[in-house]
Amino acid sequence: MSGIDAVKKIVETEAQARRIVDEASAKAQQIISQTREQAELIRQEAIARAQQRREEILSEAKNKAEAEALRSDQETEQILNSYRKLSEERKAAAVSKAVELILNA
Amino acid sequence: MSESLEKLQNRILSEAKHKADETIKEAQAKSQQILEDARQRAQKESEEIITKGNVEAESIRRSILSSKVRVNRLRILDEKNRIVEDIIHSVEDQLSRISKSEQFEETAQRFVTEAVKAVDTDQPVVRIGFRDVSKRNLDGVSRVLPKGGKLVIDEKPIDDLGGVVATDPEGKVVFNNTFKSRLERLDNQLLTLISSTVFGE
Repeated sequence: MSGIDAVKKIVETEAQARRIVDEASAKAQQIISQTREQAELIRQEAIARAQQRREEILSEAKNKAEAEALRSDQETEQILNSYRKLSEERKAAAVSKAVELILNA
Repeated sequence: MSESLEKLQNRILSEAKHKADETIKEAQAKSQQILEDARQRAQKESEEIITKGNVEAESIRRSILSSKVRVNRLRILDEKNRIVEDIIHSVEDQLSRISKSEQFEETAQRFVTEAVKAVDTDQPVVRIGFRDVSKRNLDGVSRVLPKGGKLVIDEKPIDDLGGVVATDPEGKVVFNNTFKSRLERLDNQLLTLISSTVFGE
């Protein structure tokens, strides 16, 4: 083999070596790029799950509060009824005492 | 010469492959790190969302309940006020019809006596007016007036419900002893009395 042929062979081999390195570099870029996409997907899925859970928490809280509010309405209705009953039973006595107060105080 | 060229070629290719392998390994390691960071960040963001959700939920719960409690307290207060107002109207009604009761003469005399004492003069002017009361019903009142006193009888009840108003001769000192004035003066006691009688408070 002549010296020129040997140099050609070396040049070709180096070119092949560069291709190997370049391909690996491109593949590495691709791996990183795909991983970033995957990471973003993981993040979005996690946030979506959290948002869903948040909606459930809010809905549960609202339902619970409305149930408590309903109980408050029922208790209030009982109190109002008891006041109406007391008023019927004790009105005459209250009027009598009040008249006495105004007349005699 | 040919053998050493082949070795050189092999070494060049071997180094290139090694470098390529290292590049891929680094990318894979970086990739793992990116995923791990992403998971941690996602976990943190999720926890923040849930935490905020819990705070918001408590706020919604408090808002709904406090609004309802406020409304219901007002309903209870309104009902109590309605009951008390109804009783006071009945009281006013009874007071306005006192002339038909046995207590009338004694009450009228006492109201006049109180009013005269309050204006503190020898010549009080006493105006008296109750519903359905004639001069004949007020004979007893004249007896409790001082000698220099003057009695003026109104045909209509004073201040709607009836009562007595005494002044000095110049009209500078006035004591209003009508039922309406007495209701106003005794307002707090009256409300306490009615509340304790009806509601036991």
